[in-house]
Amino acid sequence: MIEAKDLTFSYNKEKQALHGLSFTVGDGEIFGFLGPNGSGKSTTQKILTGILKGYGGSVSLFGQEVASARTKDFFQKIGVLFEFPYLYANLSAVENLKYFASFYPKGQARDAIMLLEKLEFKKEFLRKPVSSYSKGMRQRVSMARALISNPKLLFLDEPTSGLDPSGAVLFRRIIEEEREKGTTIFLTTHNMADADLLCDRVAFIANGRIAALDAPKKLKEKNSNRQVVIHYERHGKREEKRIKTSELERELPFFSGEILSVHSQEPTLEDVFIRYTGRGLSE
Amino acid sequence: MNGFSYLLKKDLKMMLSGKFFLLAFLSLVLYSAYINLVYVRLEQGRYPVYVCDPNSRTAANLAYISKAESRRELEKACADRTSVGIDFTAEKSEIYMLSSGSEKTDHYREIWGKAVLTGIENTKTKTVGLYDKEEKSRREITAEFLFFELSAVGFLGLASILFKEKQMGVIRVHGILPVRKSVFILSKLCVFLFSDLLFTALLTGINVGVSDSFMILPAALLQAGILSLIMALIGLICAALLPDFKQFSLFYLVLAVFITTPVFLAGQTGISWKWLRYHPMHHLFTAMKSAYFGASAASVLYYVVCLGAIVLLFCGAVGALRREAAREG
Repeated sequence: MIEAKDLTFSYNKEKQALHGLSFTVGDGEIFGFLGPNGSGKSTTQKILTGILKGYGGSVSLFGQEVASARTKDFFQKIGVLFEFPYLYANLSAVENLKYFASFYPKGQARDAIMLLEKLEFKKEFLRKPVSSYSKGMRQRVSMARALISNPKLLFLDEPTSGLDPSGAVLFRRIIEEEREKGTTIFLTTHNMADADLLCDRVAFIANGRIAALDAPKKLKEKNSNRQVVIHYERHGKREEKRIKTSELERELPFFSGEILSVHSQEPTLEDVFIRYTGRGLSE
Repeated sequence: MNGFSYLLKKDLKMMLSGKFFLLAFLSLVLYSAYINLVYVRLEQGRYPVYVCDPNSRTAANLAYISKAESRRELEKACADRTSVGIDFTAEKSEIYMLSSGSEKTDHYREIWGKAVLTGIENTKTKTVGLYDKEEKSRREITAEFLFFELSAVGFLGLASILFKEKQMGVIRVHGILPVRKSVFILSKLCVFLFSDLLFTALLTGINVGVSDSFMILPAALLQAGILSLIMALIGLICAALLPDFKQFSLFYLVLAVFITTPVFLAGQTGISWKWLRYHPMHHLFTAMKSAYFGASAASVLYYVVCLGAIVLLFCGAVGALRREAAREG
């Protein structure tokens, strides 16, 4: 679906934003693009969505080079959720969706009201102007806007930002449903939980370079110190022991009946990110 | 076409929510009230004329002429450096006046003095031009107000709508929609052009008279259309390129003070600068005025340049919108 090879981009002579990125995203895959602010995430997404021109290397979507594929047909196949909910504040949710849907062929666009229902949008606000909505409601309408055209390739930038925990769970479920339909999803995020729960593969980007690219599980396994922490109780006293997994094969240094809890010391995705890039995601 | 009709509908809603039509209506009421209640009733001041005719050689008894009993009294009356004196003491009549300090004003005073003298001597007048004073005033001020409305006020309309869209971030959304930037601009231009043409027709109908309007409107609508498109496109480019409304306001001030005002001033006061003929707005202003007086002042070159300017500005607007769509959020 997406193939980037030695992708470079400079805003000016002194500021090179991307330094030869290479990655592929397969059909129906959820691909996470993780990096701190200013790492080149947005620039990459803008190139992929055909907004930024003048890049180096090659980027193809749907088997066609993006630079020459920015046609009506290309834009009919993609859907983009921006980091901020960009909507007409003077129009209602339904009016916004009908307006944006009007640019797609009749059979392609989804029903605006059904889509909003799916996103658990409050019915009483359907016809009220967006200016009266909360941040979470705006994010729901924005998601509906990105999905309204039934895109084959969906770009999501911080999809769960501004949502409460139940809203975030709902969005993850909808993203999963989209993938089950065969939609390819390019997810740009700071949110490690989203990346860990949703992505088949993630790429860590820092200073315009890909520092690591693999499935979240594999990245965590690769960077695991293969230790477990066991809490146990002996003679009425709580104790902790850190042992290597290889030691588990041998006899335990205490009775199994004394064990209170066993914690694997697998790193979080954020720990792995810091190991590869030397900085945190929120920096 | 479905997308374009939605674009038109959305732009109309934006104009309505931005109170654009209300402002245009208020302008129409204000201009019309001024023209009908004030401007056409204004009597333009003439230079006072004093006649010294001790031998009663003339029988002139005009309301705007004052009598001076002697040459001394005539000179005293003309000491204000505004009045014009005509002395019939000698066999050959003579115009007497003191310089006002402005060569141009003195020239006009002299022309007026000679005209009065000729009028007294020949007691015959000739009508110059097709229109009476009120007709001329109405056409002149209507053309000027329309030029002002389209160039200075109308310019703000489209820019303010685009600024709103910029603030809402929706221009970025249009960057990934299957719609051309040119169609996005075209829809805005259509709505504003229609609104400006309607304004032109109403302003002309109300202030020049319905029957005369039929003669004027084809040419006036053409000039209004050209001016409306040019100003709307400049407004759109500025709104797309300038980061905030403060900078836009500053630019608007520069545009109003240094670009539109000299042309307006020259048209209103009779001041003439040689460089004005190189000022593009001057040609638009002249063409607008000519349209209201049935004169065909605009040449083919004028229309070619206007068309070229509109095409160039349109391309510039497409580029500016692309830049805005790619801007960092």
